[in-house]
Amino acid sequence: MRHFQLLFVCLLVLSHGLISNNQSFAAAKRQVVNNPSIKMVIIPRTSQQMAAFYEGREFPANAIEATRSVCFFTIGIHNKSKAIIWHDTQQWQLNSKAGKIDLISKKQWRQRWKQLNLPQRFQSTFRWTLLPKQLDFQPGEREGGNITIPRQAEPFDLTAHFLTGENKNGKPIALEFKNLRCAKDSDQ
Amino acid sequence: MKKIMTFLLVYLFSVNLFADTNLPTGIIKITPRPAPPFNLENMDGEKFALAQKTSHWRFVHFWASWCGPCRREMPTIQKLIDSMSKDSIEFFIINTAESEDTVFSFLGGIESDINTLLDRDGLVTEQWQPRGLPSTYLVDPTGQIQYVVIGGQDWQKANYQHFLRQLPVNKAVNH
Repeated sequence: MRHFQLLFVCLLVLSHGLISNNQSFAAAKRQVVNNPSIKMVIIPRTSQQMAAFYEGREFPANAIEATRSVCFFTIGIHNKSKAIIWHDTQQWQLNSKAGKIDLISKKQWRQRWKQLNLPQRFQSTFRWTLLPKQLDFQPGEREGGNITIPRQAEPFDLTAHFLTGENKNGKPIALEFKNLRCAKDSDQ
Repeated sequence: MKKIMTFLLVYLFSVNLFADTNLPTGIIKITPRPAPPFNLENMDGEKFALAQKTSHWRFVHFWASWCGPCRREMPTIQKLIDSMSKDSIEFFIINTAESEDTVFSFLGGIESDINTLLDRDGLVTEQWQPRGLPSTYLVDPTGQIQYVVIGGQDWQKANYQHFLRQLPVNKAVNH
């Protein structure tokens, strides 16, 4: 696998101009953990970036407004090892000073879209732009997608735990990301 | 005659080994499962269905214009289709939940005349449960998904084309 999947690369391209022309991303920086087994990238996305993407996909205004109320992060995960790496967002811990932060689940998004009567095709596209909840990363596999959380004013830490090996009995992996922040449009 | 038979047996055995152990990058052999049926239209309104049983393998591919790897992979699929015999493998290229205008613009942009099917509401894609987009499945003549292909691949490469060309002979013998 040479490329991250789903929206990840597309969003990178989409946002490249915005990011490269601006040096004020100190408040919400991309973070990377790269070790011999796994590489994981987290990129905070601004509301404007996300709105631009979904507007480009012809999403209705009320759906785009709904995306503005949450924080988006694009995640890329690359299994660099020769063993299966088991991804499960339930094994992630997100904590700020105020306490535990829960990811907004696909089920919660489905309920939100139902309230807004969002046509099925947009729901489908949105779902495919999210990071899978669980995945058995095959050796060499790269996948990506967005995670969403309620908008946070304060920074938070994320620890992602992964099991490894065909029977999940290999050496576990824990990746830590400190001081993640929701990207603000003013950061652009 | 005996030598020829021995050669053929060794050849078929080696083909089988190639198909299941030395798979090109990204192709994974899975425990076979039935391919979910579909009946989708192309941009001209013509309907295409996945027959449960047929005489050849099926290449079922899901894509979307917003997916970067899809953009890179599609021209190689076009070349693959052009290079394969029509009666050896059938191609179903399925766009996930985008409008005809978007699909038309995208394919025009990469100068592709691929006959893509439109999964207008995305429900067929949901049934197939790809790991992500793009995703490709190889369905055998009996309607079983035998292989999944992770991510975007360069289908022009000789090892992929060789692998696909082996499939009809190999699995037709086994089934």
